[in-house]
Amino acid sequence: MAVVTRTIAAFFLTVLCATALLGAAQAPPAPGQPPPRQSEYTPIDQLPPQDQLPAAPLLIAAYSFVLMVFFLYVLSLARRLTSVQRDVDRLGATLKQSKS
Amino acid sequence: MIRLAWLILRKDLTVEVRSGEIAYTTLFFAVTCVLVFAFALVREGKPPDDGAAGILWIAIAFAGNLALGRAFERERQAETLRALLLAPAPRPAVYLGKLLGIVVLLAATEAVLVPLIALLFQARLLAHPFWMAAILASGTLGFAAVGTLFAAMLVRARSRDVLLPVLLYPITVPVIIAGVRGTAALLQPEFEGDIVRFWFALLIAFDAVFVTLSLWTFESVMTD
Amino acid sequence: MRAATVCALMFALSPLVIASADYESTMGLVQKIFYYHMPSAWMFLVSGLVCGVASVRFLITGDARHDRTAWAAAEMAVIFGLVTIVTGPLWARKAWGTFWIWDARTTSSLVQWMVAWAYLILRKYGGPGSEKLAAGLALFGTANVAFIYVSVNYWRTIHPPTSVVPKLPFTMGFPLWYCVAAFTLLFIVLLKLRVRLEEQRATLDSLYLSMDEQG
Repeated sequence: MAVVTRTIAAFFLTVLCATALLGAAQAPPAPGQPPPRQSEYTPIDQLPPQDQLPAAPLLIAAYSFVLMVFFLYVLSLARRLTSVQRDVDRLGATLKQSKS
Repeated sequence: MIRLAWLILRKDLTVEVRSGEIAYTTLFFAVTCVLVFAFALVREGKPPDDGAAGILWIAIAFAGNLALGRAFERERQAETLRALLLAPAPRPAVYLGKLLGIVVLLAATEAVLVPLIALLFQARLLAHPFWMAAILASGTLGFAAVGTLFAAMLVRARSRDVLLPVLLYPITVPVIIAGVRGTAALLQPEFEGDIVRFWFALLIAFDAVFVTLSLWTFESVMTD
Repeated sequence: MRAATVCALMFALSPLVIASADYESTMGLVQKIFYYHMPSAWMFLVSGLVCGVASVRFLITGDARHDRTAWAAAEMAVIFGLVTIVTGPLWARKAWGTFWIWDARTTSSLVQWMVAWAYLILRKYGGPGSEKLAAGLALFGTANVAFIYVSVNYWRTIHPPTSVVPKLPFTMGFPLWYCVAAFTLLFIVLLKLRVRLEEQRATLDSLYLSMDEQG
């Protein structure tokens, strides 16, 4: 059982790296200089491209976070399962010994 | 069942009137709470805009938490809880009696809090007294309904003082939000009846859902 | 555990599937967070429902299996809720200009998440007898779930309404449903594993008891 959870965790780690690479490949060009002080409001669509907030870091952060959370949770589950399983086996063996 | 609820309510009120323990301490705590907010938020005699509604409901929530924590304390200490539960009447009657006791206590607290906040934060809370009373009543009922159930369930639990707010506040956040928005709508210079009615209807809906759910589950959840 | 392998493979392929989807016209690249945000939000709501239903069944029958399912579902709710609540603001920062707004859906989702946390705290620190208590809490919390789903349609809010999903074109619909399938599979696998942990703990307790009896 614990082996399975470890395998799942390994898969997640692989996917994490793959996503990071793919995300980096898809990144739009980085923004240029900081924008000048505003004297009027402009909607975000009409801003020149270099002033807009780059989306790629947000996207990568989101996907990496998701995969990291699941990876860590699966790891925590695996740890708890192995520890309880160990105790169950140990107790079972002790009981069997004391019965015989 | 109504008779038993009424009897429990009368018992609690009688003990309260004689000793005043829960009532006075809750009231004092609520007033202190409001004063702390006043010290923190009122600058040079000018209170923050629209702060009064939120502060009123925060004070009610904190005071309610304190009162609920001790609602079943007497029963727990004197072991009369078992006697109450063995009474030949439906158990929800115990719940109803306790609920009404808490509501009365909180109503007394609010009667002091509302003028105090109106004074300290220069908010015209008493401009529409009937609507104010309606929103306060329905919000308090919703808060107390959930709180009485959880306080009853926690009577025998470990670390119940800490667990009561942990359990209570997430569930009652919608009630408090509705109460705050309703009160804030009442504080506007022009009276916007639609908005007030909307939040009041929402509060009534919460009350109906919470009281019904509590009555259903009180029986099965009450541990001795 | 074939399900676990399938699930892991689906997740491994998901970036490719998502990359093949069309760019949304106003939000561009960042909208692709949607393909993880929405399925995890759905699983968050589903966990809330499962927890509530299992709690009701536990209150009615007293069967410990329902209690274990409820506990596992609460933990699922915390995990999927965490994913939803972090990916949402990351998307919102670009799409709406701000990390968080207090509208009906975000507020009630946050409240539901806090209820799930409170459930776990209660189970951990409540001591004996906290199963029924937690079941009562879950019952109240579940009433919130339907409210979240419906709230977006009734309150004027900048959160996209639920009508967006059926109208998706195929290039965007397919990645979405693919991710929904992946997340559902993940939810089922994790839930089963978590329930198994509780079952093992129960076995351990009974073993301790029989050891005490033996002397």
